[in-house]
Amino acid sequence: MVVNSLVIQLLNGLASASALFLVASGLSIIFGVTRIVNFAHGSFYMLGAYVAFSITRALPVEAFDVLGELGPHVRFWGGIATAALVVGLVGIAIEIAVLRRIYHAPELFQLLATFGIVLIVQDATLAIWGPENLVGPRAPGLRGAVYILDQRFPQYELLLIAIGPAMLGLLWLLFHRTRWGTLVRAATLDREMVAALGVDQRKLFTGVFLLGAALAGLGGALQLPRETLNLQMDLSIIADVFVVTVVGGMGSVVGAYLAALLIAELQALMLLAPPFTIAGIEIAFAKLTLIPSFLVMAAVLIVRPYGLLGRPQAAARVAGAAEPVLRLATPELTRIGLAALAALALLPLAFGDYTVAVATEIAIFVLFTASLHFIMGPGGMASFGHAAYFGLGAYACGLAVKYWAAPMGVGLAFAPVLAGLGGLLFGWFTVRLSGVYLAMLTLAFAQIVWSIVFQSDALTGGDNGIRGVWPDEWARDKAVYYALAVALCIAGTLLLRRIIYAPFGYALRAGRDSPLRAEAIGIDVRRVQWIAFAVSALFAGIAGGLFAYLKGSVFPTYVSIPKSVDALVRVLLGGVQTVSGPIVGAIVFTGLEEQLARATEYWRAVLGVVIILLVLAFPEGLAGFAQRRWERWRGGGE
Amino acid sequence: MDEAALLDVAGLDTYYGRAHILAGVELAIRRGEVVVLLGRNGAGKSTTMKSVMGLVRPAAGRIEFDGADITGAPPHQVARRGLGYVPEDRRIFSDLSVMENLEVGRQRPREGAPSWSPEKLFEIFPNLAAMRARPGGRMSGGEQQMLTIARTLMGNPRLILLDEPSEGLAPVIVEQMAKAIIRLKSEGLTVLLSEQNLHFARLVSDRAYIIEKGRIRYQGTIAALMADEAVRAQYLSV
Ligand SMILES: Nc1ncnc2c1ncn2[C@@H]1O[C@H](COP(=O)(O)OP(=O)(O)OP(=O)(O)O)[C@@H](O)[C@H]1O
Ligand SMILES: [Mg+2]
Repeated sequence: MVVNSLVIQLLNGLASASALFLVASGLSIIFGVTRIVNFAHGSFYMLGAYVAFSITRALPVEAFDVLGELGPHVRFWGGIATAALVVGLVGIAIEIAVLRRIYHAPELFQLLATFGIVLIVQDATLAIWGPENLVGPRAPGLRGAVYILDQRFPQYELLLIAIGPAMLGLLWLLFHRTRWGTLVRAATLDREMVAALGVDQRKLFTGVFLLGAALAGLGGALQLPRETLNLQMDLSIIADVFVVTVVGGMGSVVGAYLAALLIAELQALMLLAPPFTIAGIEIAFAKLTLIPSFLVMAAVLIVRPYGLLGRPQAAARVAGAAEPVLRLATPELTRIGLAALAALALLPLAFGDYTVAVATEIAIFVLFTASLHFIMGPGGMASFGHAAYFGLGAYACGLAVKYWAAPMGVGLAFAPVLAGLGGLLFGWFTVRLSGVYLAMLTLAFAQIVWSIVFQSDALTGGDNGIRGVWPDEWARDKAVYYALAVALCIAGTLLLRRIIYAPFGYALRAGRDSPLRAEAIGIDVRRVQWIAFAVSALFAGIAGGLFAYLKGSVFPTYVSIPKSVDALVRVLLGGVQTVSGPIVGAIVFTGLEEQLARATEYWRAVLGVVIILLVLAFPEGLAGFAQRRWERWRGGGE
Repeated sequence: MDEAALLDVAGLDTYYGRAHILAGVELAIRRGEVVVLLGRNGAGKSTTMKSVMGLVRPAAGRIEFDGADITGAPPHQVARRGLGYVPEDRRIFSDLSVMENLEVGRQRPREGAPSWSPEKLFEIFPNLAAMRARPGGRMSGGEQQMLTIARTLMGNPRLILLDEPSEGLAPVIVEQMAKAIIRLKSEGLTVLLSEQNLHFARLVSDRAYIIEKGRIRYQGTIAALMADEAVRAQYLSV
């Protein structure tokens, strides 16, 4: 019996691998040529499913009657193929409208802009198809099941199993037997040389986007008979897909297939493992399917930093501007900043509870943003999963209240400890990578934390979160809590700032600018980065703890991808290379988000547009822009 | 300037960031000529070629190719007009086979330019014929140098920019390379090559320019240069 269910699980794994492969190969192909990690690839997948849903419904049955027996098949599969094509065209539109303008932007900004697209597609899907889950049609002729070792196995899954290798074969032929494919492979290796040989890169990029988006759309459309459609499909697949592409090696289609198999099989087998108990809490492997895939990724990345079949990327070979050094604000700017802080302190006297609560939130986000800025700016490590540490801090407080009924002081002390430990653990892996790989790994770690808090109902309350996380009696008053939060956040932010200008900060920046030279003068770069990562996590944890007591509750959404991206937007908005940046970024963004959420139901889409516009308009961030303007104005006046 | 010039570069200024690399570079290459751009390490030879090709954007100056202004045009458009570029670091597509590397370079036949096919190129570079399916990454430096030239020729260019073709090659291969260039000239191809190796340059070139610190310091026939000990001593000897 055990063997039988094992075989069935392995088959299930194969079927899941196909969809994962389709999306991951698309992402990988796009990255190979354009060097853009397309966050919106999960959105293409989701769109594929929804568009296929509408097309297979809209096509009138009678129109296919002339085909007789074949009619329903043509109708269904025609719908699936058309959906893939439609998504491909959407991909082209996005490439031309947005990505084409940012091929020379820093990779972080590119990732961010594609996240703006995620937000827009999410709201567009909501507007067109509504918030309810949708159930698609079954595939004609494949509704039944076959018996394998006395176990029922759906026919459609068998088809899916075949589609993976079939598409792999087709892609192989495309890349090795056509001129276009040869050009794409060449461009993956050295796109500037390809241009110097007379190939129009822009057409190549657009074509690659068509293919990549259509593959993701096909992956989504094929889910139609298998899964209910929902608005979370995009982000839930993108985490898995990031893992698959990173494990397989960015830019390698065969690697993507191997990795998809590996991950999907592991996840399928996890379902068979019996639950186990730690400290009286039952933990079911079946619920922790995300964890093995991330562990595999971490393991692979340590042994082969560029994935199973990937290789180090040749530097983009574009004479890029050097990172500007971190600039200190001029004394005037500092004075203006201090005046603003003083005004902040007097706020509760003048305004009501709502404004004070928003102001508290802003203060908390200033600290959170400063903590991320600390590793991004001076450290040169762009974490795409910083919400993990914010969330760990918040959950530390939540758990302290839930299990020990502890007072706020204990919770707030526990928050940085738990977050800092998380930072130590994940940071150890993270500092071994750089660039987009680092970004994707940090995102994956955040997803681990998310899946743990989301899936272990018994420990964390799962989706329902932990409620009743209120401050002690003396701090219940909004104004008092505000004062406490502002004091802690300003202290934390100033401390981080001190560290940046302390010898440790110089060592960190030396490691960022020239690891080799830093090593040569005796700096253990990895160690310095590791410590910085943990310190940053620790401060994020304090912010998370304060946030938990502000809201009175803790939810898995604190750890979600959008929260991590919000943090990045705040940093980038302020400018990575200005110390005052995080403060400006946090204030502007938090205020903006608050206003948007109140003004329109579709605030996510508006936010997406704003992110994209910001990336297009201010590659050095708002504070960097303002500071330069200010200095020029001052300089001109004298 | 010169009526018959196929490539005419005037007043070319190029910067890398704030570093002023080229200052008023002037070149004129006539149809069918082989011209060498000589200069020491860091003199600006590669930068000149990259500026012509559109790989680096010049800050000032005018580049005319075949009567059309190509200043600031993107590289693929420059290449499509029949200007071939062979980089000094070869930049072979390491995962692609010899045949696939050639395929990437292929363009339609061009009027007024010699036409090339893989078979015809294998006559000039016989070493390549024996390794059609071999990935570029597993070839020797000399073989890669031949492949990078062959790849550019697949675009049927009117003129090629050859950046230090003899660099790092064994003497036997350098000799083969010289023969190949002479053969290209006999096919009617116009060539601008950059070199530090005067011996090699003398074997293949008609005329020479000398560049130093981003300025053209000398121009003349190769024979005149060989006769002018003082110029060679000033600009070329190490
Ligand atoms: N990408 C770059 N960024 C900044 N400076 C550069 C860059 N490439 C070249 N340089 C500088 O420009 C100058 C000219 O370089 P170039 O490569 O044109 O010289 P070259 O004559 O080709 O030398 P070589 O014989 O060594 O190839 C040198 O001083 C070099 O240091
Ligand atoms: Mg050079």
